[in-house]
Amino acid sequence: MGDEVYSQLMKELKEGKYVFTGELEPEKAGDVEEPIKAARELVGLVTACNVTDNPQSFAYVSSLAASYKIQQETGMECIYQLRCADRNRNALLSDILGAGVLGLKNILALTGDHVSLGDTPDAKPVFDLDSTTLIALIRKVVDEGKDLGGNEIHNPPKLHVGAAAAPGAAVLKAEIAKVRRKIKAGAEFIQTQVVYYTEVLDRFFKELGKVDVPILVGIFPAKTYAQADFFDKYVAGVDVPPDYLQNMKETKSIKDKEKRKEEVDRVNIEFFTGFLEHLKDTPAAGCHIMAVGYPRIIPALKKVME
Amino acid sequence: MIAQEQKPIEEILDYLKGKQKVVAMGCGGCATFYHTGDKKAVKEMAERLRKEGKEVTEIILPLGVSACEIDMSSKFLEKKRKAIENADALLMMSCGDGVQVIAEYIEKRIGVTIAVVPANDALGLVGGGPKKFKETCQMCGQCELGKTAGICPLTSCSKGLMNGPCGGVREDGKCEVDPEKDCAWVRIYERMEKMGELAKFEEMRDPHAWSRAKRPRLFEIEEPVNPVSTILSSLPAYLTLFGGPKYEEEE
Repeated sequence: MGDEVYSQLMKELKEGKYVFTGELEPEKAGDVEEPIKAARELVGLVTACNVTDNPQSFAYVSSLAASYKIQQETGMECIYQLRCADRNRNALLSDILGAGVLGLKNILALTGDHVSLGDTPDAKPVFDLDSTTLIALIRKVVDEGKDLGGNEIHNPPKLHVGAAAAPGAAVLKAEIAKVRRKIKAGAEFIQTQVVYYTEVLDRFFKELGKVDVPILVGIFPAKTYAQADFFDKYVAGVDVPPDYLQNMKETKSIKDKEKRKEEVDRVNIEFFTGFLEHLKDTPAAGCHIMAVGYPRIIPALKKVME
Repeated sequence: MIAQEQKPIEEILDYLKGKQKVVAMGCGGCATFYHTGDKKAVKEMAERLRKEGKEVTEIILPLGVSACEIDMSSKFLEKKRKAIENADALLMMSCGDGVQVIAEYIEKRIGVTIAVVPANDALGLVGGGPKKFKETCQMCGQCELGKTAGICPLTSCSKGLMNGPCGGVREDGKCEVDPEKDCAWVRIYERMEKMGELAKFEEMRDPHAWSRAKRPRLFEIEEPVNPVSTILSSLPAYLTLFGGPKYEEEE
């Protein structure tokens, strides 16, 4: 791993700037108009955006194609999410090389949810590599110009690789060991799963100890009660505080659309102001705001961090 | 052992549609432990087929004589050579291995090509028992157990990860895919912790080498076992089965 910087994301992280990243979700569609529209709204608000790769193992537009189109049409730098669930090591290598060809500069290496939890549960799960060995593969490609078979790669791509971490993991000690393992494998930045509880975050940073890579803490200001409820019920390692859930639930009864939006924003700003104030006292290098379809909340959240 | 269960009778009868003379053959290996190819199962199947108006010949293999061990099972086939030569089908009450080994013998050594159809579905290589069994090895050809505290993550982790756990571990250390199953990587962590080997846990394990699982795999040994002398010389050792504490299965 050299000191070269290929992306705006890495540049700002290396400069010690407090970094915000966003999230864009390609859909089950023949176009990427929605994430492009969302990306346009996020330009100037965040440094880069993650482009999800079949989240929850639902099959959508390829994150590689979407990342390329979004970056090309909006100028938003993309963090191309790449999962092991659907691809073997050869397909992963092809996509890594393809990412370089298409001008992408950041990859977030993920294992991915089990395909049996997705919308086509009979699909064959692949998982030939895992997040750690995928990171190692990307490093080998970028740093040594070789693949896992030791074969030479002509003109290897220049990419940064990030890893995920789950501060709310049910068995935290094993998760911490895994995060350390991913750092050793060559992860250059970390984006965490969504966290709502400051205690969860503090425990994570304490157990992890000092590490050399910047960590962006994931937050999820929900646009609707249903979104918050989904995270609470279905996303492993994420607990949503009952007070916040209740306040979000109450916004459902507001008939006037504009007033409801205002109230949703108020609930989020109130909750996240406290959380973000606390975040200032942690080693976090930035914040990954997974406010999908909810860019209007970002300026208010960024203001807290100024 | 190869866990197995009998197919629905409708499916079996469908395979035997239009086949009047049927040989029903059991297996003295795994199928005996799962009651899918023991003496009782063969007798019951034969009865069922006779009710359908079929002429049935039974071939029962004693415990220890597996259908897939052809040097032993062929003796029992040869005893019923005439019936096989005249049969329209053989219903094989074993795993798919037994079905195919027997079919090949009949075709090549008895010289007839008849339908050899399965009575069972094989469900995996499992261990444990006597009632509860668990799949823990997938015979991948490149054992990783030395790197993973004796628990195979390729088999016991739903995703088959070499570097887990994934983010899907439940509060109680169970798997996100199936709340009944333990997270293999939490178990590996706990075992390594107890053995004072956590440094090993933090090390990255290389991706698994799948090249040794190229199918179909062929295998050869230099010195074949002599089943008769092996059984006879082992007889005193079987006395151990009559002593010692009774094995009680955990609930």
